[in-house]
Amino acid sequence: MASFESHRSGVYALLAGFVLFAFWSLHADAQQQASGFAVERLYQSAPGAGWFVMDDLDISGRLGGAVSLTSGYARNPLVVTGPDGKKLAVVSEEAFVDFGAAITHDRFRAYINFPVPLLLGGTSGTLGGYRFTAPLVSFGINPDTVSDPRIGFDVRLLGEPGGLLRLGAGAQLIFPSGNRADYVTDDKYRTMFRFLAAGDSGKFTYAGQLGVHVRTLNDAPVPGSPNGSEFLYGISGGRRFAASSGWAVVAGPEIFGETAFRAFFSGETGTEALLTGRFERTGVGRNLRIKLGIGHALAQDFGAAQWRIVFGVEMFGHK
Amino acid sequence: MRFWSLLPTGVPDWKLRRSKRRSKFLRMFVIARFRVPVLTCFLLACSFAGAQNGSPAPRPSDEFSFMQMLADKGLHDIENESWNAYGQFTYISSWKPSFDAPYTNLNGSINSLLPTGERSFTGTATLYLGARLWKGAEGYLVPELISEQPLSQLRGLGSAIQNFELQKGGAPTPQIYHSRIFVKQTFGLGGKSLVEESGPLQLGTHYDSRRLVFVAGNFSILDFFDTNAFDVDPRDGFLGLGFMTYGAYDFASDARGYSYGGVAQLFWDDWAVRVGRITAPKDPNQLPVDFRLFKYYGDQIEVEHKQKIRGQEGMVRVLAYRNRENMGRFNDAIAAFEANPNENATTCTGFNYGSQNAGAPDLCWARKPNVKKGIGAFAEQYLGHDIGVFGRAMYSDGQTEVYAYTSDDRSATVGVLAKGSAWSRPKDVAGIGVNAGWISNIHAKYLGMGGVDGFVGDGAIAAAAERSFDLFYSAHFRAVYWLTGDYQHITNPGFNAARGPVNVFTVRIHGQF
Repeated sequence: MASFESHRSGVYALLAGFVLFAFWSLHADAQQQASGFAVERLYQSAPGAGWFVMDDLDISGRLGGAVSLTSGYARNPLVVTGPDGKKLAVVSEEAFVDFGAAITHDRFRAYINFPVPLLLGGTSGTLGGYRFTAPLVSFGINPDTVSDPRIGFDVRLLGEPGGLLRLGAGAQLIFPSGNRADYVTDDKYRTMFRFLAAGDSGKFTYAGQLGVHVRTLNDAPVPGSPNGSEFLYGISGGRRFAASSGWAVVAGPEIFGETAFRAFFSGETGTEALLTGRFERTGVGRNLRIKLGIGHALAQDFGAAQWRIVFGVEMFGHK
Repeated sequence: MRFWSLLPTGVPDWKLRRSKRRSKFLRMFVIARFRVPVLTCFLLACSFAGAQNGSPAPRPSDEFSFMQMLADKGLHDIENESWNAYGQFTYISSWKPSFDAPYTNLNGSINSLLPTGERSFTGTATLYLGARLWKGAEGYLVPELISEQPLSQLRGLGSAIQNFELQKGGAPTPQIYHSRIFVKQTFGLGGKSLVEESGPLQLGTHYDSRRLVFVAGNFSILDFFDTNAFDVDPRDGFLGLGFMTYGAYDFASDARGYSYGGVAQLFWDDWAVRVGRITAPKDPNQLPVDFRLFKYYGDQIEVEHKQKIRGQEGMVRVLAYRNRENMGRFNDAIAAFEANPNENATTCTGFNYGSQNAGAPDLCWARKPNVKKGIGAFAEQYLGHDIGVFGRAMYSDGQTEVYAYTSDDRSATVGVLAKGSAWSRPKDVAGIGVNAGWISNIHAKYLGMGGVDGFVGDGAIAAAAERSFDLFYSAHFRAVYWLTGDYQHITNPGFNAARGPVNVFTVRIHGQF
């Protein structure tokens, strides 16, 4: 019977092979490809809703409607941090334009939005065992992409326009569209349900929201990636400065964000503050609103931009 | 290149009389009936080649639409709209039985129509949103969804492609994109006040019969140039691509058929003149767009006149185009191959179609800024109530490759369209037409050497005109639907008399709201 000694070299070779295989496997794991997702976290309110993210719930009258154009630029909306603290700006810049339209009647509003990505770029690299490939989107390469259009429905449940307190609710269905590798879509349907509050007191106005973003994409443990459904939160407040001919300026901050239920305020959480100003004429008939917002991340994670600038124009009114 | 979903919009002035014409249509039919005119006119029409392409369909007030419903309830002023919204969905299924072909994709060329039986389909859904922005200004946004599967990967046919909705590069997985985002500004210059009916890409309004119109943004050039004959929506009309516009009109556009740019139109009573400059794709028949509008572009000019012959309305148009694009000349590709056989279809270093024919020239070796131009004419004439004949023809120089539309270098189309008033189905549409496309001698030589362009190239060729005969009947039912049966007979597919003929049977279901 052959002794161990006689097979020792063979056993060592086998062990060496096993170890190499294990290392290769680990290495292969380390090179797993991150797939991309819908990185945009500025979940806009409905066209004609006043704020960028919050909703003023000023829905009334007979048949009315709104059309909107919103465009924005975000810096470093996706910076991934590895276990060693190393950072990688997978998406370092992002620009979009969004076209929206809403129809209102009495206390109800139905709307659609069509976001068009204009620019996405960043840095590719390996971090935390995952390979991240930066998006490469420009208007010339993707001249007609619509990324994750949505339809939504809002209702004012309590309170009247101009009153101290209005309560409402809204739902959105987001259709997957675009290429996941471009960080413009999850490639899965998403829905949002929100409870809305808003009110006016003299020269002051405010709005807030709590909601659920039903997101089936769970890319855990890929750093900086969605972990499934999220809790949405936000609040805004501003002061109204009356101008001539029915025009007014409303200025104030909006703070909004989201956190994954699976890591409730302990991990994947992004929060942004947006200082907004809007020049508007409101009332019965045809109205116009021009909005500008400049923001900074309070918790830069999960798609919250390091800083962003947003511009919007809304035409709205009702009979 | 593109093949898509064209929708409406069209020459505003033309539409202005649409409603009048429709009612007149009905009256006349009673008098003129159907009879002989159909055939006679068809024969007459052959004397002036032309094409029809479905025209933007306004939505008559007796047809159901969301906007009409709001208007009926007193919630919307449909004659002076501040906004509107329309939609459509269309599913087209085609079946091509097997056909005779002595060779297919010879020597590694790749653009033959496969001789085996095949099924093709397209499904589209479109939303047309319009809003008045300020005095005289209208803004339009048209998101669209498409799912498709072409015959033979959309290879092997010129303008005889059986379904105008097919897009190059499309896929069965639904894709959402914006087909149009543009602003239209109108300046009235006087004349009569004309009514423009509400419809897709058109707010209900009044225009001066003399006016200046500027359009800027993202659109299909066919929204303004060579609009559909008799205002028949292409989704209710002929199925074949060659019936949508001139087969030889290689208008600059991306792979779906849309462009960015500007159009200026002057309407002066019965006359109209329009000019436009639009973007070209970066590579032929691809989606990415080159926005350098002063370097690469498509220019077009069209003159239009409406007339009456024996009380029947008609129209003639002349259109010329000139494109400057980074495209290959057939001569240059052949010369490059003859000078150095290593510069063949398999050794391309730049954009190419993937031919595996090592003994063939390829346009990839010849691409540089080149000019393509062509001129064409269109005519349509009502013969009686709800029946009309149309024709169009175009001659392009034929020296350079297809960059966007079809491989035709010359094209001619004639057809007859009739509505079903005579048999008490006034919303039904029936049509019969013939489309023919030719290629230039140098184009034929290039294909004969085994070369391929964006659509055709069997590896060899017995050059001949590609012809398609198209017969359809579109039946209206349940207020918003149309069901169409269509038969197409295609001879000399891919301009090659050695192959075919090919039969294609198609069913279409279309709904609009």
